[in-house]
Amino acid sequence: MRDITLLLLAAGCWIVAALLPLVPPRKEGRFSTVVGATGSLLAIFAAAHALLGGTPTHVDFSFWQGPVRLEMDALSAAFLLPLHLVAGLGIVYGLEYWPVHLAKGSGRSLRFFFGLLVTAMSLLFVTRNGLLFLVAWECMAISAFFLVSTEHLYPEVHRAGWVYLVCTHTGTLVLTASVILLAQRLGGFPWVPLPPGPIGRLDVWILVLSLLGFSFKAGLLPLHFWLPAAHAGAPSHVSAILSGVMLKTGIYGILRVSTLLPGPPGWLGGGLLLLGAGSAVYGVWNALAQRDYKRLLAYSSVEHLGIVAMGVGLGWVGRSSGDPLLTALGFGGAIFHIWNHAIFKTLLFFGSGALLHATGTRNMEALGGLAARMPRTALLMFPAVLAVTALPPFNGFLSEWFLYRGLFASLRGGDSWSAGVALLALVFTGGLAAVAFARFYGVIFLGEARSAAVDHAHDPSLLMLVPMGILAVLALALGLLALPLLAVLDRIVAVLAPGSATPLASLVGRDLRLLLPLEVGLLALGGALLAWLPRRAAQVETLPTWDCGYAAPTARMQYTGSSLTDGWSVLLPGVTQRVRSIRALFPRAHSFHSVVRDAVGDDLVTPWFGRLTARLLRYHRLQQGILSIYILYVLVALMAAFLWLLLRAKLPG
Amino acid sequence: MSHTLASTLMNLLLHTLAVLVLPPLIPGLIAKVKAWLAGRSGPPVLQLYYDLAKLARKQAVFSRTTSWVFLAGPVGTVAALLVASLLVPFGHTPAPVSFEGDVILFAYLLGLARFLTVLSALDTGSAFEGMGAAREVSFSALAEPALFFGFAALAKATGSLSLAPMLQAHGMGKVGHLSGPLILILAGWAIVYLAENARMPVDDPNTHLELTMIHEVMVLDHSGRPFALVLYGASLKLVVLGALLVDPLLPRLAQGWLNWLAFLAALGLLAVVVGVVESSTARFRMTKVPQFLLAGVLASAFAFLLLLV
Repeated sequence: MRDITLLLLAAGCWIVAALLPLVPPRKEGRFSTVVGATGSLLAIFAAAHALLGGTPTHVDFSFWQGPVRLEMDALSAAFLLPLHLVAGLGIVYGLEYWPVHLAKGSGRSLRFFFGLLVTAMSLLFVTRNGLLFLVAWECMAISAFFLVSTEHLYPEVHRAGWVYLVCTHTGTLVLTASVILLAQRLGGFPWVPLPPGPIGRLDVWILVLSLLGFSFKAGLLPLHFWLPAAHAGAPSHVSAILSGVMLKTGIYGILRVSTLLPGPPGWLGGGLLLLGAGSAVYGVWNALAQRDYKRLLAYSSVEHLGIVAMGVGLGWVGRSSGDPLLTALGFGGAIFHIWNHAIFKTLLFFGSGALLHATGTRNMEALGGLAARMPRTALLMFPAVLAVTALPPFNGFLSEWFLYRGLFASLRGGDSWSAGVALLALVFTGGLAAVAFARFYGVIFLGEARSAAVDHAHDPSLLMLVPMGILAVLALALGLLALPLLAVLDRIVAVLAPGSATPLASLVGRDLRLLLPLEVGLLALGGALLAWLPRRAAQVETLPTWDCGYAAPTARMQYTGSSLTDGWSVLLPGVTQRVRSIRALFPRAHSFHSVVRDAVGDDLVTPWFGRLTARLLRYHRLQQGILSIYILYVLVALMAAFLWLLLRAKLPG
Repeated sequence: MSHTLASTLMNLLLHTLAVLVLPPLIPGLIAKVKAWLAGRSGPPVLQLYYDLAKLARKQAVFSRTTSWVFLAGPVGTVAALLVASLLVPFGHTPAPVSFEGDVILFAYLLGLARFLTVLSALDTGSAFEGMGAAREVSFSALAEPALFFGFAALAKATGSLSLAPMLQAHGMGKVGHLSGPLILILAGWAIVYLAENARMPVDDPNTHLELTMIHEVMVLDHSGRPFALVLYGASLKLVVLGALLVDPLLPRLAQGWLNWLAFLAALGLLAVVVGVVESSTARFRMTKVPQFLLAGVLASAFAFLLLLV
């Protein structure tokens, strides 16, 4: 069967999975899970087939009297693969995590919008028509809104949902303009790539506008401020699909639009490189300060999307300067990092869901010592933490290695200044991410329990553990067996930059053939050394931590997440408020508290919107709340438009 | 062909032998130099070998707070450093494994070692070890850019992204014998060397006061074989990072064995220099340490800028 047909079948499965919990024989959702997971399996099969050398397949039909083409090429497949991996595992995980038969029907609505989101994104990645793209985009945005505000009774979730809705629609507004301009350039809504040629001014406008619109979705600095609250407030398997896949629809959009035009100008590539670098550093900088572990993960997504954007920028620099090496390493690294991020971030969010299930709190300072109480979760989160910090031998390291190779190459040949800055940003990001995730893992899983929330914690059931296990294995497997992926990445790069990239296999194949055995050797060495160490069972007695001779250490004496990064707090933007000095002779009790703020969201955007709202309230008089008056407004506006058209036709010149 | 294969194998054997046997000698040398300068006779140079042999036979004690992550620290550190040592050329002998981009793997393996050490420190739930972990991560986040700026400068100058050609570019172009950028890079790396190995102006390996420690305080709870791995890993780090420092300064000699000899002599000399530095400076206050590390970052950043323009 053709790939695209298979994918449409999969989308159909997901629609059915979304609707099943709503129809009368309301079972607990096992059947709909099976249908959804089957759909995902079909889609993964189709995408893998398309990536492994299948030719692009398409179907044509008519939509609003316009021709529409749904086509699955390597680029679409590259995004469909992580989507259906995360969605398929997510719906299985959700069966235990957020049962369908929950009070007030939130389980059913969650299942419905989850299915709708997956269907909309599946369509988004294959449609080749501007209008249908916007429709799918809007469906995705709206279902994501309902998913984010699943727990809307909590005020912060309610607010996060609305902020997300406003942001996504502002983005859509910009995208609509860009799609209309694109339709002018292409001569219609169907997206047919233009032949290579000189880059016009209109092309630059289209690219800049779509970059702006898509950055809202991708959470690039400074348009990321909606993201942390929204991703932290959503149910964990939803956070996984939002962070792991939906953010990347922004990257997909930028890439797809750029393939339609003759090619991006070089300065835009350098600009995107720097923007990505800024996002990466800013994201990880904020992740360092978070006490809410899901917010920490959300900020880490800002970081990783920044890294992906750096890859895309590098690819554009390569494409415009005609450097096949940069093109291959930039685009290849970006796509590879998209896959890797989908895997380890989903694993991290699934794991944080297990934590939330077991302890009921998102505050990491209340946790601790969970490695003893949730040994399986702790074991499965360990590879995720190493992968997200890009440490070998896990998958995150390899994609960043691609990017490092590209940046060093650009340093030697291409745009050395932007590459130098981006290189520094990547190094710094790597160092800070290690701090942030050592803190994440150390404070949550290691040491002693910090509060009673941990007392009854236990591992979740297999329904939640098995999806996590699959992802953990994938994180290691992609890190060790990346060699066959090079040919696949080449096919995707060929879509992004037709005929102008060196095959990756000839570029890094030899190096990877030496690198990957070293990683296997690392694991083997670790295993051998572990075998040499004494078994714990041999020990005669258990003793407390030595703690420099202090015999009665308590859990409150441990370092907390805040104290671990306290040294950085001078540099973190506006994080802490505290009593600096005690002046009185007989000082009374003092206390201080620290709050975590987002420099862009809390200090710039919120006050600005406050002032804007105050100004706009002047026009509140126009809002009467009476329907007929609104209809009158529409009528007047229409009349005015017709009048203007009429006058313009009549008046000479 | 057979001759080159034999010499390659010989080299590999020597390299592995050097990595496995040599490291514990270096801390012994440093301690001896410090003792001499202080007018003491000091422990024997081979003291660390005796310690390791004793620790390997001793029973290990584990705190009841710890989990399996506690063992990941020592194991991961030694495994990562052993693999990293395969990428570094010792003097002008070829590195056992060398490929474009190995320098990134090298840096990230060091990162892996640090990450696992920090986790195993946090696993004890001790306030002291948490303090050590917090200091380690903060200072290493500054040491890492210094290391990378040096790599970037050398990569730009030599047109290669592999440790062996980068470090063995003796007399080549802009990073030839003791040119400005090279001096700056080595100055930056010397600071990194002292900081990463917990040496004197940054950290005092001999202090008895846990509050002032950085690295030592993270491994307070290790004992027996895990502690043997910690000590061996620390000495291995002295050799692996030491090779980065001495390689660019060594002249290329005709015979292979002469190159080996030169490298070993240079490493010994480095140990003596570290001993002298440790004897002649006091440990900085904790608040001064970031400034010291920042000087290292700036030195190698200037080297990078000099080569960029």
